[in-house]
Amino acid sequence: MEGVFQFAPAIAALPFVSFLVALLAGKYMPKKGALAGILATGISLGLSLVVLAVVLSGHTYNETLYTFVDAGEPFSLTFGLLIDQLSALMLVIVSLIAFLVHVFSLGYMNDEGEMGLPRYYASLGLFTASMLAFVFSDNLLMAFIFFELVGLCSYLLIGFWFRRDAPPSAAKKAFLVTRFGDYFFLIGVVGVLATFGTAQFAGSEGFPALAEAALGAGETFYGFGAETWFSILGLLVLGGALGKSAQFPFHTWLPDAMEGPTPVSALIHAATMVAAGVYLIARMYGFYALLPTVLAIIAFIGAFTALFAATMGVVKNEIKQVLAYSTISQYGYMMLALGAGSYVAAVFHLTTHAFFKALLFLGAGSVIIAMHHNENMWDMGGLKDEMRVTYLTFLAGSLALAGIFPFAGFWSKDEVLFDTLVVGLETPLLLVAYVMALGAVFLTGFYTLRMVMLTFHGKPRTDTAENPHGVRWNVKFPLVVLGVLAVVAGFINMVPVEKLTGANVSFLSGYLADAPDEFLTSSAHYGELLETYAGYESGVLAGSEPLTVLLGGGLALALALAGAGLGVVLYRADEPTRHTEKLGGLHTLLMNNYYQDEYQVWLAEGLTARVARAADTFDQGVIDGVVNAVSSVSLFSGDRLRRIQTGVVTNYAAIITLSLLALIVVFAVLGGWF
Amino acid sequence: MVLATVPVEYYLLLSAAVFCIGLFGILTRRNALVFLMSVELMLNAANINLVAFAFYWENLTGQVFVLFTMALAAAEVAIGIGIILVLYRNFNDVDVTEATTLKW
Repeated sequence: MEGVFQFAPAIAALPFVSFLVALLAGKYMPKKGALAGILATGISLGLSLVVLAVVLSGHTYNETLYTFVDAGEPFSLTFGLLIDQLSALMLVIVSLIAFLVHVFSLGYMNDEGEMGLPRYYASLGLFTASMLAFVFSDNLLMAFIFFELVGLCSYLLIGFWFRRDAPPSAAKKAFLVTRFGDYFFLIGVVGVLATFGTAQFAGSEGFPALAEAALGAGETFYGFGAETWFSILGLLVLGGALGKSAQFPFHTWLPDAMEGPTPVSALIHAATMVAAGVYLIARMYGFYALLPTVLAIIAFIGAFTALFAATMGVVKNEIKQVLAYSTISQYGYMMLALGAGSYVAAVFHLTTHAFFKALLFLGAGSVIIAMHHNENMWDMGGLKDEMRVTYLTFLAGSLALAGIFPFAGFWSKDEVLFDTLVVGLETPLLLVAYVMALGAVFLTGFYTLRMVMLTFHGKPRTDTAENPHGVRWNVKFPLVVLGVLAVVAGFINMVPVEKLTGANVSFLSGYLADAPDEFLTSSAHYGELLETYAGYESGVLAGSEPLTVLLGGGLALALALAGAGLGVVLYRADEPTRHTEKLGGLHTLLMNNYYQDEYQVWLAEGLTARVARAADTFDQGVIDGVVNAVSSVSLFSGDRLRRIQTGVVTNYAAIITLSLLALIVVFAVLGGWF
Repeated sequence: MVLATVPVEYYLLLSAAVFCIGLFGILTRRNALVFLMSVELMLNAANINLVAFAFYWENLTGQVFVLFTMALAAAEVAIGIGIILVLYRNFNDVDVTEATTLKW
């Protein structure tokens, strides 16, 4: 059975081959490289499923495959494979979404007669390959390398329509903002390597295990106590995760990234890029579980981002903008879960979110095809009768996003909230985060249903909405697959049902707790760490666990239903009014995204650029001035001194002769010849 | 022996005279060919000294040494003339003060 792990590198290698094929031969191929991509991701998906099956049967894999800097001491740099419960699950998610996105692209790109398709499919292949390689990385440095490649590919794909004005600028923004976070990540990687001499994620030789040992022994590093120093490292790595997962204040790139082709948005927001940040924290959770301060920061950033992004989603008019803010908001939940010590809930929400968010983006893509690339929801309306499949699947995804029972999002979001609540009961600070997350639940329900009502219900508001462009099987097939998953994916971990009835239905929890002991990556191990080092304990409301479950779940569901109901009621009309515009100044503030872009541009231009210019002046004037002054003294004296060297042989000969004569005279006088 | 009647001081005087002529040439002339000739003169002044002393001490070592010096001088002239040729080719002149491109 373990033999299959020999082929695991092919999961990432095949999309890479499709990248090469599409790049070099794409323009001679019938579908411009799409078929190579579909084939490659299809096989990757198959292999990932086999790997998942093998992992389910209890086999795991953690090997170093290639050492590219073999220094021995103090550390070597390696590439390797870590396939445990978490990465096997993520491999399936990524390859599935990538496969469906490739199929969908046939409808969105090929059928629409786009130019530059080989470039598109090549970038898509490289994107998938780097994300898959990132997922099975066995050490932090390898993860960083592929993390950066993912960023590069997102840049290429967001800026795919580079002849227009907005996409290249959005691509640059995405690249720069995430790179700003990655800068901290890079320092973090160096710090981890310097501190532990290894960057391995798993095993007793891995850095989380070493960190635990150092913490237990009370060691000090570079003059800091172990916990302080590890917190610094953790925050540095967190910087990269916040940038990629678009958490406040690095979220600004994500809405602009909507300039890319819609299938790419689906891939970026559901399975790659944005998921990479959360996955990274989950991957090295054994390290974060030791650091209560960092966990609290993660929880607060997550909860705040969830609420903050949801408020902006409420007022947006473009269907993809609403989805963009919902993505930021949902990743906020995952961060909250990680910060609240609920590793399982985070992975669960990552899984369900991957399915329903990919579904929503592909559904939006289908709508956009139908609307001849008009994305404004106020120009739509009444599409539900014209596009049955799209409507039903989109509705399933929306209900999952809104967290309505029994769709996938309900189960995972409920688990996030419930776990935050029970920890919050013992650590009251987290209750603040819990309240923010609850607020986001209400807003999510509202803007999701607002989007659905505006897009699909009411009367068609434009001619295009009256006669939408049809979509073919290659659009419907991915929608149906994801639609089914958005309904059923939640059933893999029905913790509330288990807590209430005792039936054993929390499969994902069991699965994640199943990671081998020697890897130290099981959720059970994380639980112990959290209890020992972070002091996280679960409390209950009114002294009864079933009651806590019912109250927590009921509250979340009630808020979601209230939000969704409000959305339906307000926008049910045939010609809905623009209710959000009644918010006045708040509406302007929200439409301008809290002026986040403005202040970040100010930070860049007003502050950083000015400081840089001042530093440049200082450098040119003072530092270079001193250096130049020193060298000009040498230059000047050298210039004067060199004049004794005439370079004329005759002069040298004359000097020698005269000196000789003088010498003879001296000898003569002193020797008494006269 | 006729030579035996000539005292060694005469040779030394001759040698010193020849050397001074050579030195004068080097110090005053600018023509590279004259330079070369002057150097030859100085070398030969040394040779005269060596032969004279060899004769005086009745020791042949000095004379053998002179043979080596002459061979060396021949080689030196070959190279020197080669340099002068190149000098002429590059500067169209054999004036040593003209070749200043390598100095300040």
